[in-house]
Amino acid sequence: MIMLPSIYRGIWRAVHTLRKRGTPPCRFLSTCDGLPVGLADAETIFALSSGHGRCGVAVVRASGPASATALRCMAGLSRSLPPPRTALLRSITDSQSKEVLDRGLVFWFPAPHSFTGEDSVEFHIHGGPAVITAVLQALGSVPGMRPAEAGEFTRRAFQAGKLDLTEVEGLGDLIHAETEAQRRQALRQMSGELGHLYQDWTHKLKRCLAHVEAFIDFSEDELIEDGVLNQVDRWVCDLQAEMEQHLKDERRGERLRSGVQVVIAGATNAGKSSLLNTLCQRPAAIVSPIAGTTRDIVETALDIGGFPVLLSDTAGLRESQDLVEREGVRRARERVEQADLTLVVVDCAHLPSDAQQAAAFLQEHLRSVLPTQEQPETVFAADRFLLLLNKTDLLPEEQRQKLDRELRRVSGFPPVCLISCHTNEGLQDFLTVLHSSVKTLCGDPLSGAPTLTQARHRAHLQQCFAALAQYQRYRDIDLALAAEGVRLALTSLGRITGRVGAEEILDIIFKDFCIGK
Amino acid sequence: MLTKKLPPLNSFLSLVSRRASHVTRQQYDVIVVGGGHAGTEAAAAAARVGAKTLLVSQKIQTIGALSCNPSLGGVGKGQLVREVDALDGLCGRAGDWAGIHFSILNRSKGPAVWGPRAQLDRQRYREFIQSELLSTPRLTVLEGSVEELLVSETNPEQPGHHRVTGILLANGSHPVSASSVILTTGTFLSGSLFIGQSTSPGGRIGDAPSSSGLSHTLKERLGLRVGRLRTGTPPRILRDSVDFSLAVVQPPDGHPTPFSFLNTRTHCKPEEQLPCHLTYTTPGVERVVKDSLHLNCHIQEDAKGPRYCPSIESRVLRFPGRRHQVWLEPEGLTSDLLYPQGLSMTMPPDVQLSLIRQIPALHRAKIHTHGYGVQYDFVCPTQLSPALQVKNTQGLFLAGQINGTTGYEEAAAQGLWAGVNAARCALSMPTVSLSRTESYIGVLIDDLVSRGVTEPYRMFTSRAEFRTALRPDNADMRLTLKGFEEVGCVSTLRYQEAVRVRDSLQDAQATLQALSLSSNSWKKQLPDIQISEVKNTVMTGMEVLQYNNVSFEMLASAFPESLSRHMEFSQRLKIEAVYRPHCNLQKKEIERIQKEENLLLPHDMDYLSLPVSMSQEVREILDRVRPSTLGAATRLQGITPAAIVHLLNYVRSAELRERRKHRKQQKEEREEELCAAKASLP
Repeated sequence: MIMLPSIYRGIWRAVHTLRKRGTPPCRFLSTCDGLPVGLADAETIFALSSGHGRCGVAVVRASGPASATALRCMAGLSRSLPPPRTALLRSITDSQSKEVLDRGLVFWFPAPHSFTGEDSVEFHIHGGPAVITAVLQALGSVPGMRPAEAGEFTRRAFQAGKLDLTEVEGLGDLIHAETEAQRRQALRQMSGELGHLYQDWTHKLKRCLAHVEAFIDFSEDELIEDGVLNQVDRWVCDLQAEMEQHLKDERRGERLRSGVQVVIAGATNAGKSSLLNTLCQRPAAIVSPIAGTTRDIVETALDIGGFPVLLSDTAGLRESQDLVEREGVRRARERVEQADLTLVVVDCAHLPSDAQQAAAFLQEHLRSVLPTQEQPETVFAADRFLLLLNKTDLLPEEQRQKLDRELRRVSGFPPVCLISCHTNEGLQDFLTVLHSSVKTLCGDPLSGAPTLTQARHRAHLQQCFAALAQYQRYRDIDLALAAEGVRLALTSLGRITGRVGAEEILDIIFKDFCIGK
Repeated sequence: MLTKKLPPLNSFLSLVSRRASHVTRQQYDVIVVGGGHAGTEAAAAAARVGAKTLLVSQKIQTIGALSCNPSLGGVGKGQLVREVDALDGLCGRAGDWAGIHFSILNRSKGPAVWGPRAQLDRQRYREFIQSELLSTPRLTVLEGSVEELLVSETNPEQPGHHRVTGILLANGSHPVSASSVILTTGTFLSGSLFIGQSTSPGGRIGDAPSSSGLSHTLKERLGLRVGRLRTGTPPRILRDSVDFSLAVVQPPDGHPTPFSFLNTRTHCKPEEQLPCHLTYTTPGVERVVKDSLHLNCHIQEDAKGPRYCPSIESRVLRFPGRRHQVWLEPEGLTSDLLYPQGLSMTMPPDVQLSLIRQIPALHRAKIHTHGYGVQYDFVCPTQLSPALQVKNTQGLFLAGQINGTTGYEEAAAQGLWAGVNAARCALSMPTVSLSRTESYIGVLIDDLVSRGVTEPYRMFTSRAEFRTALRPDNADMRLTLKGFEEVGCVSTLRYQEAVRVRDSLQDAQATLQALSLSSNSWKKQLPDIQISEVKNTVMTGMEVLQYNNVSFEMLASAFPESLSRHMEFSQRLKIEAVYRPHCNLQKKEIERIQKEENLLLPHDMDYLSLPVSMSQEVREILDRVRPSTLGAATRLQGITPAAIVHLLNYVRSAELRERRKHRKQQKEEREEELCAAKASLP
C-alpha cells in the first residue's frame, strides 16, 4: 500500500544528512537534491572509477546507450562487439586522431546485466595520469557522452532497481570504508544481507497482515477458521523476539560504521595528552608540565586492529576559577557521558604508597570521573572503562608489583593497565586490552546476524516493534485496529527497504485461502 | 420514506411508453445507456444534480433487476452502500424496502469493518427502483436498444480527440442528442453466454444481445483498449425440492439495521424475516466436476475470472479435497426459488443436476433455471479520468462492469459518481472527485483509473488504507455535507438531517470532553470498570468512553442531565471515542496523500521525452496510464520511488519556471507601459 514517495524523499534526505554528517564523509549521493532536472536519460556518462593518482591499473567506466559506440570506435571493433562480460586485450585509440593511447583490457556489459542496468563498458588501462586523461578526453569526444556527476552510476543502478536502499547505503560505506572491519561490514550490507533480513521480516509481516485481512474480509461467509489468528499471534511474537534481539545490539554496527568514541579523562597533569600523542604517534596535543594545559577537546582518528576509533583528549578534571578551563571541564564531562569507552588516566605518583589505600583512592577517583547519574557497578560491568596508571617509570619496581597484585585482587574494578607514556612500558599490553574492548563494542562484522548500521534503520525498526504491540493490545477487542498495527509495522519496515501495496496483501490472501461464495 | 406507497408498476410502464414517442426529438443533457445498478444510480444522480436526463434500457421490466445474487452489502460492499446512500443514491433505501433478512457481518471485529448486509426480495427491489426513477424530476425512461454512439468534432478548449454528441437508436429512428453519454452496459459488450459446450451471444439469459455497433465504435473509432473477463451464475433451485433438515439454519439479526441514514427501521418487520441455510459440498461434487471438464468450455477459456467469487469448478480444482460452503438464500418473501450461493457453474444442464444432488440438502433438488457463464469485454479503466470520463473522448462516461468491476455495490457507486460528473459536465460545471482518504468510492475509482484491473474488481476493506476513518457509521458525516455543498447531488431534506446529526454529535462530544474528573472519581462513578490509571490523573468523558466495556449508556445513567439527551447517538459516540485517537494519528498521512493528490500532472505531459532521468520502462507506464495526479502515479505498479522523486522535482520546477516567466512577462509589460507613458510625456 502503502509506500509513498515522500517516504522516499524522507529517506533520501536522511541518507544525505547522515552521509554529510557521518564519518567518513560521502560524496556519492550528494548531488541528488534537485539535480535530475535537465538530465536526459539518453545521455551516456563516463568517469574514472578507480582512485586518483599514480597506480598500476586504472578503470574507466561508461554507462548509457552510446557505450557500445564508444567501445567500437575506441577499441577498434568496427564489426562486432566482444562477447559480454569477457576480457579482451585491445589497443585503445582516440576515435578522431586515430592515435593509439594505450593497450588495455575492455569489457562489454550489455543491458540489463550491468551494474547500472544500462549498456556499460569498462576500460582497464595503465594508471598513469597522462594515459587516464587521454582516454577520458577521447571518451568525451564520442557523440552523446558526458562526464558523470558524482554518484551518478549508483543512482542509475538504484533507479533501475539493481540496488535497494540498504544496498546503496552499504555500497557508499564500502567505498568509504577506512578500516578492515568497516570494509567487511559494508561488504556484507552491500551484498544485501541486511536488506535480506529486513525483506524476510517484511515478507513475514505481509503474511501476518494478509491473514488478518482475510479473516476480516472473508471469514463470515468463507471457510476461514479462527485458527488463522492464532497462527498470526505466533508469527507476531516470533517477529517481536527477533527484532528485539536485533535492536539489542548495543549499537555495534553503527559504532563500527562511524567509529568507536574513546575518551581520555582524568585529573590534570595525569598524562592524558601524552597518551594521545603516544597512541597516534605524533604530537597532536600540546604537552607541558603545567596543569590545565589542555582546555578544549583534541580529537584524532585511529585504526586499532582494524576497528575505527575516534580518540578524544579532554581537559583535566578539577575545580577551577578560570572561565575557559571551567568550560573545558564541562565539555570533558559531557564527552565522558557520550563515550563508548573511557580511558581514566591516573598519575601513579599521586597514589598512596600503601597498596590497599591506593585501591580505595582509585575507587574514589573513578567515582569522581563517572557520569554523575550512573551507578559505578553497572558502568564497570558494561566494559565501558579502562583504568590507566601512568608514569610507572616514576614508581619503584616493588611498589608497582604490589599495586598490580592488589588491584587484581580487589573486585569491582575496570580492567587496569600500568603504563608509562615516557618509556612506552606496558603500552603493548594496553593496546591488546584496548583492541579487545573495541572489538567487543563493534562486534564481529562477519559472524552472527547482520547488525544495524544506521540510526535511520533503528528508528524505523523501533516504530515497527511498537506497532506490533498495538496488534497484541487490540487483538481481542477490535480487529480493525489490530490490523492497523500490523499495517503500521509493515509501513515502518518498508521505509527501510521498499514498498508494500494492498494488491500484494490480496495476492497472499488468494494464494493461502480458498475464497469463494 | 418507507411509509410511502409504491405506485403500481403498470402506470410506470404506460408513462414511459407515452414519453417514448417524442423522446427522439428532444435534446438531453445526459443520456444513460443501461438500467442496471450503475445505470439507475447514474440516471437518478444526473437528474438530482439538475440535468435533463434520459435512461435507455433494452427492457423496461428489467430496470433495477438483481441479475445474480439476491443480496446487497457485506464486508466492504456494505460500506459502499452506506456511502451511495449518504450521497442520496437509491440502493440503500431500495435495500431497506426490499430486504427480507438483515445481518451485520463482522460484528465481533470492530465497527470499522462491520458489513451491513441483506437478502432481498427481487420483485420488491425492482419495484422500488422503478418507482424512484418515475418520481425523479427531469428524468425520462425509454425502452430501446442503442445502435451507435454519435461522435463528432472536439471542443478545442478541452482535452480529448473525440466528442460524443448522442446516441443512435436501433430500428432506424432519429438520433437522440445529449452533451454527456454514460454507458453502463454491464456484461453486454461483446458478451457471450456459456452452458456446457454451447455458446450464444448475449449478456444475460433471456435478454437480446446488444448491438455490435457500440462495441465497434468504442474499439475502432475511439481506439479504446478492451480486455475480456468472465463471470457466472448458479442454477436456481425450487424451494420445495430442498431437504432443509440437512442444512444449518442461519437466522437474521433480531433487530434489522437499515442501510439508509434516512431510515430508522426496515420495511420488513423483524419477525417476518426469512432465514438462510448453510450446507457443504462433498467429494461427489469434486468427482462430477472432474468427470465433466471436457464438456465445459467456459472453464477452459482463458478470460480472467474473479479469484474471490469463483465457480464451483475452479474452487474444487484449485483447492481439491476440501469441503466448500454452499449458502441457500431465499429469492423473495413469496418466491418459490432458492439461490445457492457458491455453486456458480457452466457445465451442461444434466451434469448440473447430478452435481447439485451430490450435496446433502439438495439430494432430490430440482433446477428451475440452469447456471451459465458469461464472457464479456471491459474497457481498461486506466483510460478514464477520476470523474469516470473517457480521457480521449469528451462527454463519454463509463460505469459498472464495463470498467472491469463486479458486484452491485461497486456498480452503483460508479454509476452515481459518473452520473454526477456527466451532469456537471453537461451543465458546464467543473467535474468533482472523491479522495481515497475520504471514501471507499474514492478508493474504488482511484484503484480503477490509476491501477487498472486484471480480474473483476471487488471492494474489500483491506483496499482502503484509512479504513479506521472510513467507517459505515460515519459515511453521512464524510459525504452528505460535501454532496450538498460541493457536488449538488443531495436533497435539502437529507442535508438538513445530516446537519442536525453533525450538530448533535459535536455537541455531545463537547459535553463529553468537558466532563473531566479525576480517575478516582471515575472509579466511584463506574465501580465495575477497571480504570487503569494508577496515578490520580484527570480524564475526560471521551477518554473513559474509549475503555473496552464502557458504553455511552453507562455514562448517560451516571450523568443524566448532561448526557441523556444524546442517547440517540450512543453507538456512534462510542465508536467515535474509540477510533478518534487512531484517526488523529493518521491525519498526517492523510494530509500528505491529499497533497500528492492535489499535485496535478499536466494531461498532455510528454513522458517519453521528459528531460529527467527516468527509465524507458517507467516512461512507458506513465505514458500509457497518464496518471492525473502525483498521488495516482505513486500507486502505479512498476513506478520506482526514484522516478516519483524526479517527477515531483520536474513538476515543481516546471511550476517555478512558469511563475518566473509570468513574473518576467509582467515586469516587461510594466516596463513597456512605463516607456509608453514616458514617450507620451511632452
